[in-house]
Amino acid sequence: MAIRQSVLGLSRDPRQLGLVRRAYRRFQSWRDDRGYQWFAQIHGFPLAMWCHHGTELFLPWHRAFLYYFELGLQSRLGPRLTVREPEVPAYADVGVPWWDWASDESHRDGLPMAFLQPMADGEPNPLHASRIAYAGDAETFSTGVWSNGLVASVRDRVPGAISDNAPPRTVRDTDEPVELPRQHTLDNLVLTRTTFEEFSNSLEAVHDDVHAWVGGSMSIVPTAAFDPVFWSHHAMIDRVWAMWQSSGVGEDPPAALLDTVLAPFPLTVRDTLRIRRLGYDYAVQASG
Amino acid sequence: MTKQPEQPESARPDASGVVTIGLPFDPGSEAETAFSRADLHFRGVDHASLSYEVRVYFNNASACAATPRVADQGYAGRIVVFGHGNCFGDPGHCDVPDDPPYDAPGAQQHPMAPKDRAITVTAALRRVLDGQGSGGLKTVTLVPVSKAPKRESRGPCAGLFKYEAVALQTYR
Repeated sequence: MAIRQSVLGLSRDPRQLGLVRRAYRRFQSWRDDRGYQWFAQIHGFPLAMWCHHGTELFLPWHRAFLYYFELGLQSRLGPRLTVREPEVPAYADVGVPWWDWASDESHRDGLPMAFLQPMADGEPNPLHASRIAYAGDAETFSTGVWSNGLVASVRDRVPGAISDNAPPRTVRDTDEPVELPRQHTLDNLVLTRTTFEEFSNSLEAVHDDVHAWVGGSMSIVPTAAFDPVFWSHHAMIDRVWAMWQSSGVGEDPPAALLDTVLAPFPLTVRDTLRIRRLGYDYAVQASG
Repeated sequence: MTKQPEQPESARPDASGVVTIGLPFDPGSEAETAFSRADLHFRGVDHASLSYEVRVYFNNASACAATPRVADQGYAGRIVVFGHGNCFGDPGHCDVPDDPPYDAPGAQQHPMAPKDRAITVTAALRRVLDGQGSGGLKTVTLVPVSKAPKRESRGPCAGLFKYEAVALQTYR
């Protein structure tokens, strides 16, 4: 069972943060369909974009996305989303850390330091940025590789969505910390919603706000998932959904949706409704 | 109850994309003022291009991107739309069909299909209706501001914010 932790809490526990970073580093080094690049491109470039936004599949689809991403972090993934025993037992229970952008710390400091340091433990910090596999890469093989034309086109048409120079990497350009969504908004305008449709719409609106706040790669759909902070942002979104589900106010998605397959993942909406069945839970947040 | 603009066809954005719509809300009407929650609903919001936000002002037709986001200026809140950065496919890739066969087995909504957004404006509407000498709500001004990847490029931007309809929904 993976217990997803607050990245703010992890930052006060160097040993745990180091473990998470090593798991990310290994995952980012994988070039086939068990690796970080393959997962990032499911959300965007190069096409197809499998993600769901603006519909009631937004929350279930992203929960499935994070579930398989986390299996990858845990070294449990085989090819084509098959699952196996962890190749690195130390990573077997690593969870995607959530970033509580509504916390006092985030409203004071913006992005947590864990995402800001270019280097960690003497190596590039895998939570700071990610490379983007492209055709001009010296490596000869990688799934989801961007053509040189796509890299040039993104740089020309959406300046600032990826780094300006080869090799392409993720970038950020954040707004002021006070512009982040507030706990008051979550408490009063999201968690109080009494239908799944209203809850999903209101939480997705907050989600959109954070994407735009981070800026850079996170600010448009096709490049967002390459940024390592994407996964911690979505862990926070998923956590809020889990809180609503267990609050007594929450309800399941409409029955007509429950058997919808969340392609490309071999899960239905129904399969995503109980997070402990998916092998994870959220730590109780002590502070921050 | 749902309140829609009286003349939505008259709403035209200015050079900065700012649009003011007439949405009268009578403070003397028991039916209109007895609410516990009020939402401004936007239907058919476009998200094909850059991300952007839309700031909402009540009774402030001169609001622009430089207008402070404070109650005194009629500020009621904002919506943020996560954009796709335009189409990178071949011609037609991002064209949303007018009459999609969503009832076909396995059919899903086109990823560029416009989406709906709502913003809760209860406190702002109450302020307008309860203000001294209030003539009620007259106009809603929508101020789009781009949320481009680079901070230096964020600001007023005409053409980003497109929507099909807006309505004020109140709940008892």
